[in-house]
Amino acid sequence: MSNITFIKSTAQDIRSGYKAIFESNWPSWLAGIFIAILAILIFLWNVPWGIAGGYRNWGDWMLYGMHLSDTRPQLAPWLHSLSVTNFGLLAGALASALLSRQFRFRGAPALEYAKGAIGGILMGTGAVLASGCNVGGFYTAVGVFSMGGYAMMIGLGIGAFIGLRYLFWEMEHLPQKSAQPGPSKKAPRIDWSRKKPYIGGGILLLGIIAFYLYSAFGQAQMGGLLFFGILIGVVMHRSRFCFVRAFREPFMTGDATMVKAVAVSLILYGLGSAVIKWSWIQPPDMGVFHPFWVGSLLGGLVFGVGMLLAGGCASSTLWRAGEGHSKLMITLISFALTNSIVSKLLDSSSLEALLGSGVFLPKLISWEITLPLFLAVVSAWVLWAAWNEKSEKFVIF
Amino acid sequence: METEVMQSDEILDARGLSCPMPLLKTKKTLKGLKPGQVLEIWGTDPGSKNDIPDFCKKGGNELLDMIDDPAGYTRYFIKKG
Repeated sequence: MSNITFIKSTAQDIRSGYKAIFESNWPSWLAGIFIAILAILIFLWNVPWGIAGGYRNWGDWMLYGMHLSDTRPQLAPWLHSLSVTNFGLLAGALASALLSRQFRFRGAPALEYAKGAIGGILMGTGAVLASGCNVGGFYTAVGVFSMGGYAMMIGLGIGAFIGLRYLFWEMEHLPQKSAQPGPSKKAPRIDWSRKKPYIGGGILLLGIIAFYLYSAFGQAQMGGLLFFGILIGVVMHRSRFCFVRAFREPFMTGDATMVKAVAVSLILYGLGSAVIKWSWIQPPDMGVFHPFWVGSLLGGLVFGVGMLLAGGCASSTLWRAGEGHSKLMITLISFALTNSIVSKLLDSSSLEALLGSGVFLPKLISWEITLPLFLAVVSAWVLWAAWNEKSEKFVIF
Repeated sequence: METEVMQSDEILDARGLSCPMPLLKTKKTLKGLKPGQVLEIWGTDPGSKNDIPDFCKKGGNELLDMIDDPAGYTRYFIKKG
């Protein structure tokens, strides 16, 4: 009798645990903490986390596959560290969307597809100029104490403002029809809504199997990156963690929630990175290559406009594509292709020198001054956003 | 049952639009309404399920209801504050 009660209560616990993880949304500050921990683990395991480099690898392969480039990319997508984390993020978000029964292929009106493609082109270009996207060029760059990160942060803010102004203009001048659901079809033979969570669980299981397969072929490091990527995908999808919101919302609704979440994450990541670098667990200047200041600022600006048009940055394009948004799938392809093409053009030009070079703050002003300065800048961003949330001084309509 | 017969003063069709367009259009449409009037929004973006209630809570408007329509979209009813 007591056994039956125990089984029943355990089943109840599992059900409520599942509901808490996959049905309720996670608070964004909690996701910020998880993302910082995972980013620190990626740094310890391999190199500082980035996304655009993985997109470039995909773009290189697309161009090579379409015979538009003769250069065969050096690394296969499954052996390129940033590409592997991206695959993980996409798979993690897909699994999470299936487990929470939110996955559905979502169409969009024609104008939205055009904005998705143009947004991808701008983000792909901006990420070349800044040597990184919202993750590699801003989040990781600020966290590893590369001056370019701060320049890109300013650029992203200006770009988000310009992009938002365009969206207002578009609402006034380009009315568009909605994408209406088609007439109701016959009931499908298989009820997918009941199967989705099992498919999602299967994808997570495949991620773990992939880790062991990578290990068996002497590539445990890649397996680990895939696994961390999957966890980031789950965390970002469950919390709808969005860097675009952090830069857009202060101008759109005044909401400071995502600014606070990104700031919490950034502070934790920066402190973790300081421990790793200051104690030489990894070389102190690792990951410091962002072209300060022209490249980072200009790249941030172009990227910022692009992320507003697309409605997703490098990371949220991946998790939203995993959730089934076809617009963001278009963005993903145009981002990857543009990033690859612009990168090749920049390499063959003499413009690269004009963009600037990596500046490692602790080398410039010592660790003792770098850390309080880093905390002060991030705290000032939060204080500004919190003040603006109340006063709406920067809200543009 | 009450929601089935809920009357709205204006309908905003944001189906197929993804973040931030549904919220942006909601904010713009609400500006044109008088306090007490009800705006009904049709949306398909899962993000709106967080964004619209949060926006109402912070912006002084009242979210009267949120219904998943069998045709595959969500109907939000907002009373302008």
